[in-house]
Amino acid sequence: MVVVGGGVTGAGVARDLSLRGLSVLLLEKGDWGAGTSGSSSWMIHGGLRYLEYDWDTTRLSNVDSGRIVTIARNFVSRVLFIVPVLPHDLNNIERVETALEVYDGYQPLKHSHPHRRLTPEEALRAEPGLSPDIVGAMTMEEWGVDPHRLTFANVQDAIGHGARALNHTRVTELVRDGRRVIGVRYRTPDGATTEARARAVVNATGPWSSQIGAMAGVPIELRPAKGIHIVYAHRISNFSISAESIDGRDLLMVAHAGFTLLGTTDDDFYGDLDSVDVLEDEVDYLLQAFERVFPRIRDYRPVRTTAGVRPTLFKWRPNEDRLSRRHELIDHAAQGADGLFTIAGGKLSMYRLMAEETSDAVCRRLGHQARSTTATRPLPGNESDPAPVAEITARCEIPALAVIKLQSRQGTNVEKVLDEGGTSRLLCRCEPVTEAELVYATRHEQVRTLADAFRRVGVAAGPCAGAACILRAAEVVGKELGWSATQRFDAAREFVRGAWLGRAPVLGHAGWAQEELAQGSLRPLLRTNGAR
Amino acid sequence: MARADSLVKLAWAYGIHLARRTVRRPRAQLDALLETYAPDGIRPLDAATRERHPRLVSCINCGLCALAAGRAGRTRLPDLASSYMRLYSRLADASGDLAGDDPDLVAASAVCPVGLPLDEVAAAVRRMATR
Repeated sequence: MVVVGGGVTGAGVARDLSLRGLSVLLLEKGDWGAGTSGSSSWMIHGGLRYLEYDWDTTRLSNVDSGRIVTIARNFVSRVLFIVPVLPHDLNNIERVETALEVYDGYQPLKHSHPHRRLTPEEALRAEPGLSPDIVGAMTMEEWGVDPHRLTFANVQDAIGHGARALNHTRVTELVRDGRRVIGVRYRTPDGATTEARARAVVNATGPWSSQIGAMAGVPIELRPAKGIHIVYAHRISNFSISAESIDGRDLLMVAHAGFTLLGTTDDDFYGDLDSVDVLEDEVDYLLQAFERVFPRIRDYRPVRTTAGVRPTLFKWRPNEDRLSRRHELIDHAAQGADGLFTIAGGKLSMYRLMAEETSDAVCRRLGHQARSTTATRPLPGNESDPAPVAEITARCEIPALAVIKLQSRQGTNVEKVLDEGGTSRLLCRCEPVTEAELVYATRHEQVRTLADAFRRVGVAAGPCAGAACILRAAEVVGKELGWSATQRFDAAREFVRGAWLGRAPVLGHAGWAQEELAQGSLRPLLRTNGAR
Repeated sequence: MARADSLVKLAWAYGIHLARRTVRRPRAQLDALLETYAPDGIRPLDAATRERHPRLVSCINCGLCALAAGRAGRTRLPDLASSYMRLYSRLADASGDLAGDDPDLVAASAVCPVGLPLDEVAAAVRRMATR
């Protein structure tokens, strides 16, 4: 089998097929989870808002979220929302509570608690930063997850069961034999072109699906929608908070482990999928909405933005926010491309189900009888509870905070990571990340660039955005990969330039102070290349 | 069809909800909420921290405070603001990192280019770590 696309769905398909005993090649043109998956709100959620459109989507989403929470138990954390209601909101407080009462019926499916109704006084005691104008608030529970780690855990398990998985490897052509698709040609990072034959090719490239479809001469109609998030390098509140935008959309401020995501927009996208820019207007649209429920939001310093494109299924007329988040599996045999399957649409919370349905279809076509086991089999690092923090701190002589963060990325594999890395030195102190983890990730987790390191271990994800650690990170990765001094320098410069693009739309006030620091500390890199 | 079906069911649920609200007295729920989520470390910021919060999280990790005042417990001074001030829900598990005497936090604050009140940060982190 060849699976094209290393987002969470493609990785899930590769894992599912490998566990069924099939031979799998997984190809990703960038890095694992670097596209739509990584630009999400980092949540496994049940889809409260789908109750307005289709209760079955909510049910399915909760069922599969529950399974993901179980198989990735060391990677997830509870996210508790306060849903404040203001006097002129689209939905009054009774309507909001009605929806949450219905949603409570599904919450046990994903091991979540039912909602609570708070008076304005209670809500303000819980979060004094809320607007004093609120008429009440509800709570709602969801799950947070790092989509990069979730994606890579699927890749890791696929590899553990015999799959080959190559990142930074682009499919250039589909190989055909008459009406059949019998393989792919792909270009590896060193520029070599290779061919792989397969009995089935799965197109799991999300918004890029149409491009792969075009290689086989089959149309795949999507309605790609752009979504951006503002990232704060700390928690603004221990509670996540919802807000209504000027055009009546539901927006979320999500409190994750050590940072906050604020989003998201939802706009039809017609541009280059490989270059999605964030506009200052989009940032203002989000801040305007949150200023209404959390008046001091503009006092906080964002550190960057993220932008991604959803692979929404095509439908004419509804505005973007009202488009279905359902998924669709397309068997292209009837279109003259036998052996090619496309999985399109959907969302992070249902990735496992999408992967299972895709794998079922492939296996049916091949007459392969094995059934999916991904609903119950834990992902690597999630087989048991992690060791107590104090125990690892004492043994490995690293700060407890570093252990906590490491466990959130590696689960039960923490000691293996620290043992192999051979050093307890902290590399990125903001996160914090040890050098050992970066060494391990470079050797065993396919880190090939510093952006890969950012995704895999969180290096440079904190308040200094890499000013204090990116050169050292280039040294560590470069040593493992055999980079020359120039290559290390170039890698750091490439990272800094990429980070600037995500940071520029949110600079202001303290952001410029941080930028001065970053530019000053990395001046040799920037001067050499003339970036900025 | 699914849309119409969903709206009808929501309307029915709304009617039941309103009927329930007329016969049931609302009761305070915040304490029960906080008890439910205490194991996950989800609790309100205290009033002092909330009021000054945007300032307390404005560290840019330049490291000047460490040059001025040294370490805080087993950790370096900027980490207090750039790292520990971020992970509120698990700070109790990391309280051992902070054990020991504070350095001269007033001197450290005096050199901070963004005016971070490090004495307040240290107090806020210790409060959260011991709750």
